[in-house]
Amino acid sequence: MVPARAPELTAPADLPYSFCSQPRSLASRPKYRKQSNAAETEKVPLHRCNIMIDPRVVRGNVLCARHPPESTEPSTREVKRQRRAQKQGLARRLTQEQIRTGTPEPVEGRQHVSVQTELYLEEISDRVIEVDGECQTDEFLDRPPTPLFIPAKTGKDVATQIEEGELFDFDIEVKPILEVLVGKTVEQALLEVMEEEELAQLWSHQRAFAELRNAEFAELQRLEEQDRRIREEKERRRLEHLEKLHKQKETAEKIAARAFAQRYLADLIPSVFNNLHDSGFFYDPIERDIETEFLPWLMSEVEETLQKKVLGRMMLDSLIRTVVEKRLDEFSHPPPPDQTETPAEEPRTTDAAPQVSDEADAADQPVEEEETDQPVEEEE
Amino acid sequence: MATPRISAYLPPDIDPTKAALAFGRRALPKLKEELQCPELLTQQRALMALCDLLHDPEKAYEAVALGFLDSLKTLLVHQDQTVRQKTTEALSVMALHSVGREGLIRSGVISALAGLLDDPVDICRKNTHQVFNMLAKLPEGAGGVLRAGLIPPLVLKLKTELDEIQELILDTLSNCLRVEVSEALAAGALTVLKEKLSHPSAAIRNKAAWVLLEISSHAEGKVAVCEEGAIPTLVRLLEDTEPEVQVNSAGALMFAIVTPQGRTSAMAAEAIPPLLALVAEETSKARLNAIKALTLLAELPEGRSTLLEHRDTFQRCLHDPSEAVQRAAEIAIAVIDWKP
Repeated sequence: MVPARAPELTAPADLPYSFCSQPRSLASRPKYRKQSNAAETEKVPLHRCNIMIDPRVVRGNVLCARHPPESTEPSTREVKRQRRAQKQGLARRLTQEQIRTGTPEPVEGRQHVSVQTELYLEEISDRVIEVDGECQTDEFLDRPPTPLFIPAKTGKDVATQIEEGELFDFDIEVKPILEVLVGKTVEQALLEVMEEEELAQLWSHQRAFAELRNAEFAELQRLEEQDRRIREEKERRRLEHLEKLHKQKETAEKIAARAFAQRYLADLIPSVFNNLHDSGFFYDPIERDIETEFLPWLMSEVEETLQKKVLGRMMLDSLIRTVVEKRLDEFSHPPPPDQTETPAEEPRTTDAAPQVSDEADAADQPVEEEETDQPVEEEE
Repeated sequence: MATPRISAYLPPDIDPTKAALAFGRRALPKLKEELQCPELLTQQRALMALCDLLHDPEKAYEAVALGFLDSLKTLLVHQDQTVRQKTTEALSVMALHSVGREGLIRSGVISALAGLLDDPVDICRKNTHQVFNMLAKLPEGAGGVLRAGLIPPLVLKLKTELDEIQELILDTLSNCLRVEVSEALAAGALTVLKEKLSHPSAAIRNKAAWVLLEISSHAEGKVAVCEEGAIPTLVRLLEDTEPEVQVNSAGALMFAIVTPQGRTSAMAAEAIPPLLALVAEETSKARLNAIKALTLLAELPEGRSTLLEHRDTFQRCLHDPSEAVQRAAEIAIAVIDWKP
């Protein structure tokens, strides 16, 4: 049989085994080859048998008597499958027969007959001769136990007895045992004592070291303390010194400020007094009195007097005027014999007028002067 | 069959209280299995045998390597008191070896033992405190004890425990407080220690003074000691009959009077005469500490004036066989002679 697939020489890594030819399940072959197809070899096995659904494989208990399976009520699925398989087989067979060329048809008048050509003829039938055979063990009894074998007594009887003291001497033999006993105990005790001694040594060593260490530590702490004190002292002194400098600076500034202020303010009083004086806050009361009361009164009196004078003069002027007018009137009508009087009166009036005006001017001027004096004094 | 060779091992069942030891290397593994057996008698016998075996350093190393410490840890909380007692004894024996101590610290037995501080049986507590004591002598052990927060309970126990156990506690405390002091101060250790300074037993006074020494080597400890007013008590102890007590109280003073308040209180308590007496004694072990304390006091003006008169005592100490004492005497003389 030519294998269907090419041989694989090396297995892939995931398979647990390697093979040269691909494993395949064998097809079911009938026990005797089919006569018509003796010359042909099957190329492809037609039926693949699954051992699980092979009806020939007995299922269930194999140790009890089996009855042939009941074919009256098979399951429909099984029935369908069987029928389908039958049909397929039939179809395949038909196609195969059509494809395959069989032996040529016999010539007319002849018949093909199959003949056995072996040495010994055998009967060929579809049905295989079956013969049932069975065998069964006989029922046996259990083998009886072997009887005790007591050999026949031969030889002589001999007896022996161990007396006390013959085997060993207790006192001598017990010594090593005792030595072991005592030795183990003493050994244990020695171990414990040695342990304690060792520990005592260690602790005394540690103690000595601890003392030295403590002494040094105390020294260290003393020096630290000293250092701390000195540092604090230094710090304090430094702070004090800073304070002092600060205060000094402040005092110097204060002094400078004071001197400056004094100098600045030295002028203050005279200038203030001057200003006040200038603005007239310091006044002589009498002068003031004179100024405020006396002089205005004087001025008013002077003015009154002058007014009176002016009035007088005006009166005089008006009198003169009326007189002159009258005279003019009088003189205009008649030819005046008083022509000489009028020029004499006229210069008199003209003299009187400038005199009046001079006097008025003179009176005005002192008044003006006085008036100008007054505001000047008031200014002052 | 009897042979003339006698075994080096004890015959079996010679001591019915101990389990039979297997041969050679199998001894400890077999004991370990027996320890985990549910039957009480087997456990007890195994523990008895273990306690004896652990005195051998090789066996102790092997036990640590086999992981005995975990089995012993589980047995610590057993109801039976013999089991507990023997377990604590085994742990204390193991703590006597260096490998044992390291193993104990690594496997966290300290926190497991903390639960046994209130055990009703005396021996269990004694063994527990012994373990703590041994462990605290190592720096890592002291750190472990501190980390397990054992200081406040230990300080509390100081007030109530038996004398022997008090000594162990004081030892443990002295080693732990060398490292850190704040927890103890918070737990009110100073009041308790001040009482213990007047205890009738010399060993307790000695160890209490040692603890005070360790406390006052820290800055906050010094302040606390001054506030507590322990300095007059310490000065009184300088005249104690026991030399050990003198040494430790001189040491405690040496540290406590570094602070200014300490110095003033020491001067007030008139510490100089007893200290001078200690220095003058040629064979006293307290010389070194006393000289250091006097050096500190000499930095005060009134101290200096007093000590100027006793300068020759220090001169004699310059020829002391111990080098440390010579150095200390030199420094003391330098301080006394210092002029501002």
